[in-house]
Amino acid sequence: MQIIKRRKTRELFLLWLLLTPSLAIFTLYRIIPLFWNGILSFQFWSPYKPAEFAKLYHYQEMFFYDDAFWRVFWNTVLFMASAPVGIALALGIAVLVNTQVRGRNVYRTIVFMSYPVMTVAVGIIWQWLYNEKVGLINYILISLGVIGRGIPFLQSFELALPSVIVASIWQVIGFYMIILLAGLQTIPSELYESAAIDGASQWMQFRRITLPLLRPSVFLCFVIGIINSFTNFDLIFVMTQGGPAHATDLLITYIYSTAFKLSKFDYAAALTVVNFLFFLALALLANKASGGEAGAVEIGK
Amino acid sequence: MHRYPHWPIHLILGTVSILMLIPFVWVLKTSLTGENIFSYPPAILPQNPHLYYYVDVWYTIPFFRYLVNSVIVSAMVVAANIVFNAMAGYALSREFLGKRTIIMLFLSCMMIPFQVTIIPAYLITKQLGLLNSHLGMALPVCSTIVCIFVFKASFDAVPSSLVDAARIDGLSDWGIILKIMLPLSTSAVATNVILAFIWSWNNFLWPLIIIRDQDMQTLPLGLSRFLTVVEGTTGALYAFCVMVLLPGLVIFLLAQKEFIAGLTKGAAKG
Repeated sequence: MQIIKRRKTRELFLLWLLLTPSLAIFTLYRIIPLFWNGILSFQFWSPYKPAEFAKLYHYQEMFFYDDAFWRVFWNTVLFMASAPVGIALALGIAVLVNTQVRGRNVYRTIVFMSYPVMTVAVGIIWQWLYNEKVGLINYILISLGVIGRGIPFLQSFELALPSVIVASIWQVIGFYMIILLAGLQTIPSELYESAAIDGASQWMQFRRITLPLLRPSVFLCFVIGIINSFTNFDLIFVMTQGGPAHATDLLITYIYSTAFKLSKFDYAAALTVVNFLFFLALALLANKASGGEAGAVEIGK
Repeated sequence: MHRYPHWPIHLILGTVSILMLIPFVWVLKTSLTGENIFSYPPAILPQNPHLYYYVDVWYTIPFFRYLVNSVIVSAMVVAANIVFNAMAGYALSREFLGKRTIIMLFLSCMMIPFQVTIIPAYLITKQLGLLNSHLGMALPVCSTIVCIFVFKASFDAVPSSLVDAARIDGLSDWGIILKIMLPLSTSAVATNVILAFIWSWNNFLWPLIIIRDQDMQTLPLGLSRFLTVVEGTTGALYAFCVMVLLPGLVIFLLAQKEFIAGLTKGAAKG
C-alpha cells in the first residue's frame, strides 16, 4: 500500500515536472503580462517615475479626448469587416479547386504560396507595386486609360487603408482557401449525387448542401480574420507606418507607437486593455454563432 | 461528374494564379534588373538580368550577421518547442491530479494573443536582462499551446498496451517518451518543426521591441530598416526581399503536406 502510494506521488511529481517549462513560459509571457497590463492601465507610470494611482484617467482620455483612438478603432473595425470579402473569394477558389479539374494541386499551391512568406517582405513588395511613379498598379491603370497620371495610393488619406487591406487579403486568401478546402472534402459526395438525381441544380446544391455543411470552416475563417485585424502589425508598419495621419493605424500599431515611440506605457496599457476586451468579445461571439465549434475544430481532436 | 466543361474553371483559376504570382515575379524581376526603378514604361520581361544587386546586398548591409541571428533564434525556438511541447504533451496524455485545470489554463492562454502582452512582456524581459539577446527573442515562443495539443493527440493515439508492455519491461517515463512516443509521432514532430520555424523566422514585432543593437538584428528587422534607409529606390532592397522569401518558400514547397496539416491545426493561434 505504502509503495503504491509513494509511486503515485512520484509519478504526479514527474508529470508536473514535465509541464513546468511550458507553464513557466506561459505564466511569464501570457498570464503575468495580462494582469500587469491591467494594473498599469490604472496608473501613472513611466520608466523614470514611480507609479501613482490614476483611477480611470487613461480611459477617460481615450474615450473623450483622443480623436486618434476613435480613428484607429474604426480602422480596426473596417479591417475586420473586409474579412468576408476575402473569405467569399477564397470560397469561390476552393470550390473550383475542389472539382476534378486537371492541375488543381498546382493552382492550390500557387494560391497558398503567399501565406507562409515573411510579411515584412510582402509589405515591401506591395508598397513597391503601389508606388506613384513606377509602381505596376499605376502603370496598368494608366495603360488601360482608367487614370491620367499616377495615384499615390499609400499617401492618400482615402485610399491608403483599402490599399493595405488588398495586400492583406492577397496574403491571407490562400490560408482561407486551405481551411475551406479541408471543409469541402469532408462533405460526402453521395449527398450531391442524390441531390442531382432529385433534380437539384448546381446552384441549389451549393446553397442547400455546401454552404450549410461548410459552416464550421467558414466561421473558423472569420475567427482568423478577426485575429488578423488585431495582430496585423507587420504589414502596416512596413507599408505606411500607420500614416497618413492615422489613416491606416490599427489598434496594434497605435499601441506600439504610443508605448515604444512616445514612451507612454501607461496609456498604451489602457489601449491594450480595450483592444483585448474587444477582441475577446468578438471571438466569443463568433464562437457562439458557429455553435461553439470555431475554436474546437483543432483542439478537440 | 464530368458534365460541365473545364475551360471556364481553368480560365478563372488561371487568372487568380496570375494575380497571386505577379508580386513575386515583379520583385524577382526588379531584383535582377533594377529597371522598374529607373525606366518608364516598365518592361514585363527582364532585360539583361544580372546579379549585381545580390552582391550589393552582401556588401552594403551586414546580411550575413542578420542571417546568423535569424538562424540562431530559429534554431533555439525549434529545439525548445520540440522538447517542451513533447514533455507537456506527454503529461497531458496521462491522467493525473490537476489535469483539467491545466487544460483549462492552456485553453484560456490561447485566447491571449501575444500582441496584447507586449508592454509588460517588454518590461519583464528588461528585468531579466534579456533585451538585445537571442534568448530574449526566443523565450516567449519557446513553447506553443497549439503544438502541445498536436503532441497530445499524437501520443493519445499510441496503443496503451504498447506503453504498458514497455513499463513492465522496466522502461521509465523518459524512456517511454524517447523510445516509444517520439518515434511513433514523426508527423507531430514535423508539424512542430515547421510551425516553430516559420513563426520565429517571420517574427517581427517582438524583435522590433526588444532589439536596439545593430549586431543583434534578425532578417525581418534588417529588411524593414533597410527600407527606411533607401526608401525603395535601389534594386538591392528587392534582392534582399528575394533572399529572405526563399527559405520560407522552399520549406513550404518541400513539406507542403505537413505544412498545411500543421497550419489547419494551428489555425486559431493568436
